[in-house]
Amino acid sequence: MPSLSFLKSIGKTFIFLYKSNFKLRLGFTLILILFILGFAVSPFSPTSTRTWYAVPRDRPPSPEYLLGTSSMGRDVFWELCASIGKSLTIALITALIASHIGLFIGLVSGIRGGLLDRFLMFVSDTFIIVPGFLLLIVVISIIKSWITIPLLGAIISIVSWPWPARQVRSMVLSLRERTFVYTAKLSGMRTSKVLLFEIMPYVLGWHLVNFTNTILFSIGTESGLAIFGLSILGDNTLGVMLYWALNYYALFRGIWWWITAPIVTLVLIFISFYLVSIGLSEHLHRIIG
Amino acid sequence: MEPVLKAVNLKGGYLLGSLYASASQQGSYVDAVSDVSLELFRNEIFGIAGESGCGKSTLIKILYGYLEPPLVLKDGLVYLYTKEGKEISITSTSKEQLKKDVFWRHISYIPQSSMNVLNPTMRVRDHFAEMLKLHANMSKEEAYKEAGKYVEYMGLPRDVLAAFPHQLSGGMRQRVVISLALLMRPDLILADEPTSALDVINQQAVLTMLRDSQESLKNTIVIVSHDMGIHGVVTHRVAIMYAGRIVEIGKTEEIFEDPLHPYTQALIKALPRLGDKAQREGLSGRPPDLKSPPLGCRFRPRCPSYGSQCKEETPTLIEVKPGHYVECWQYST
Amino acid sequence: MLHASKKSLLEYLATRTIMYFATIFSGITLTYLLVKAMPVDAVENIIFGLTQTVAGVYDPQSINKLREDLYEIFGLTGKSPLEDYLIFIRRVFTFNFGPSFISFPTPAFELVLRRLPWTIGLLSVSTAITWITGNLLGTIAGYFRTKKFTKVLESIAISLYPVPYYIMALILMLLFAFLIPIFPLGGGISVIPESINLELILNIIWHSLLPALSLILPGALGWSFLSSRTLTLEVLSEDYTRYAEFRGLPGKYVLRRYVLRNILVPQVTVLALSLGGIFSGALLTEVIFAYPGVGSLAYRAAFAGDINTLMAVLILSMIAVSTAIYLLDLLYPLVDPRIRYR
Repeated sequence: MPSLSFLKSIGKTFIFLYKSNFKLRLGFTLILILFILGFAVSPFSPTSTRTWYAVPRDRPPSPEYLLGTSSMGRDVFWELCASIGKSLTIALITALIASHIGLFIGLVSGIRGGLLDRFLMFVSDTFIIVPGFLLLIVVISIIKSWITIPLLGAIISIVSWPWPARQVRSMVLSLRERTFVYTAKLSGMRTSKVLLFEIMPYVLGWHLVNFTNTILFSIGTESGLAIFGLSILGDNTLGVMLYWALNYYALFRGIWWWITAPIVTLVLIFISFYLVSIGLSEHLHRIIG
Repeated sequence: MEPVLKAVNLKGGYLLGSLYASASQQGSYVDAVSDVSLELFRNEIFGIAGESGCGKSTLIKILYGYLEPPLVLKDGLVYLYTKEGKEISITSTSKEQLKKDVFWRHISYIPQSSMNVLNPTMRVRDHFAEMLKLHANMSKEEAYKEAGKYVEYMGLPRDVLAAFPHQLSGGMRQRVVISLALLMRPDLILADEPTSALDVINQQAVLTMLRDSQESLKNTIVIVSHDMGIHGVVTHRVAIMYAGRIVEIGKTEEIFEDPLHPYTQALIKALPRLGDKAQREGLSGRPPDLKSPPLGCRFRPRCPSYGSQCKEETPTLIEVKPGHYVECWQYST
Repeated sequence: MLHASKKSLLEYLATRTIMYFATIFSGITLTYLLVKAMPVDAVENIIFGLTQTVAGVYDPQSINKLREDLYEIFGLTGKSPLEDYLIFIRRVFTFNFGPSFISFPTPAFELVLRRLPWTIGLLSVSTAITWITGNLLGTIAGYFRTKKFTKVLESIAISLYPVPYYIMALILMLLFAFLIPIFPLGGGISVIPESINLELILNIIWHSLLPALSLILPGALGWSFLSSRTLTLEVLSEDYTRYAEFRGLPGKYVLRRYVLRNILVPQVTVLALSLGGIFSGALLTEVIFAYPGVGSLAYRAAFAGDINTLMAVLILSMIAVSTAIYLLDLLYPLVDPRIRYR
């Protein structure tokens, strides 16, 4: 089966990378832990992480409450696990939508060129000039009451696609100038075939880097929006945890564990995805320059 | 004849360490300059010829004394004799010291391509001024004035001074770079393929400039080039390099009229000549991989007339006629 | 040789000016389209929420005026789409975003203007410091790339770079206002401003130190450091730098005239872009430290659903970014001679 051998080759590359690149290994291990906490551990929460006063309030970390409890009467550890899961879900939705829109537009723009390319790049430039975060604030303020997890992921992708698009486009442009693409064209291959067989394998590697970066961007944007009170305040995300901790003046009142937990987790998420992203791009630079 | 530079038994090459090589090349050594001895005299143009990868650029980098990893000098000595009668040992002077006292005052360097060797954000006059300020302790005004006089003396239009490098044509840029190298009246100028990036017209102009300046300044110029035609036009003496070794040195006319080494003979034979319609013959084979050079004579695998001795023993340079040396077992009897 | 440059310079200026207006125009259009694409009952929804939360503050007449404003902003007046669009454009270019909700009936634009000095003060100083220190550190790290302190700086940069500035702000608050309480936890000022004197100024600076630091740290040790280091490595491998060393020019001189001068060209772009982001760059820092700038205003506006004020902030920052890029394009020829005479 061809798909099986394809998977095998991906697996092989991955194992090679995992062994050879320290940054990738570290980043990937951290991400794995985060995913386990967010998706495999969080369903086992003994108490609801969304109801108020499920546990005593403002308890510092102890064997009973690993990371203490919040002023809203929630167990911080279990709330954190649920939030990791939800934040990653939002980020994955954004990454799936935005990086693929970016891939598509970048490919079309780079390969077709001409007027279409100029139009698409003008639109993506506009997105780069418009302050994305403020645009999201305006949009979400209007539809605040309807927002759900998938919708939030989708809305964030409105401002996340231009970077991947630019990246893929410049990749295609530089690949177009390389000899092997010329050779393929001169030997009579159709443009679509050249695209599929000669350019795609190179672009896909960068697509993965863009995907990782978009996850980073989305998690950052969600937590930023949440600090503004523009996330799903009744649900558990890392940003929402920050929002409530800030709103209850957790620091003033000395409830440091409540606000430290999401901060440390966010920093870990940022560093681990960034490590994977630079580990991957280092590898890609080495093989194609 | 007064010597200006002496090189004794130079052994140098590229040490491919972890930083510069892939895993398969780990720790290998490219033997780019092997047992080279050389004497250069005042008031001459000396040529170094040979195909690319024969170690000629490496050799002049070693002579200049500016070694950057992965280039290393394993053994050998280089002495520079200044017109003031001083002897400077380039190989035993630190890079910092060389930068301070030797480079540009006594020895200068013209790089392979002038395309990108001038600072794109600096006007041409500032390139001259910074050298004058550094080596002649001039003030900025004095340096600008001096640069103006100097450029005219070198036969360049005065308005190149106000230009930025990218505004000049390739030929003009190379002439600016050459003027820059001659600025402090050094004893020795090393030119690495000074014309290879230029078209024929500009080549001619640059070569003329080099020769005229040498005639008036009575200094020594070393021209490295793969093009035997250039050596025939401008050099007084020429050395032929093959696979990291000098295989023949002599007066340019003698080398062209009576080449001794089979490699030189092949090079000369390949040159086009007026009125000669015979098919030009090339040499078969390729130069050896300098990571593992052949034992004995390095030219042996391509040599049309090698003997049994050539396989085992490395020949050394011997003087066949006065001032004409060759490294070949044919002439050792 | 040098005389053909004047015309090309004029041409350059003309294209840039056209591009400047085109980008502002397209940015405004984009905003208009996005807002128009929102569910139809947005206006009534906003007004309903408004009368619910602060009932009694508004008299019916001003509510009606507000409704009119909103219908115009959302392009829902029922006239032709083109007319709707033109009305919107006219409002934007006259800076008429309607009354704010949060301090009704003060115009939203005026509200933003009042907060501007705080934001510009904080952001311009911290951006300048970020840019200068980041570039110096990055260049030095690139130049001495094998030294130990470089490796330490690089590890710090790699850990700081991906962390958004507002998370940095929270970390700093945790460290320096809570664990080691040397800085105030928030606010912009803690004395009563009677007249402008030294005490007042020092008080303002004292309050803006931690917010500024939270912007400077991830910048100067993060992106600014990393980008200038990469550029330095690039410039160091260029022929002209190597030839400068070959010519015996001293290391410090080469660093200054060759390396720094040449990385300045691309880094000026970065500076202008970050100066352009002044409005939107520190929204969250201001919220976290309760700093009285545009960010805190936007926070209150978002909380109250004050679309007019948010629109004013959005459009003004859009204009700021494109103006910064435009000015940069005009200044670019001064930095890079290759553009001056093309």
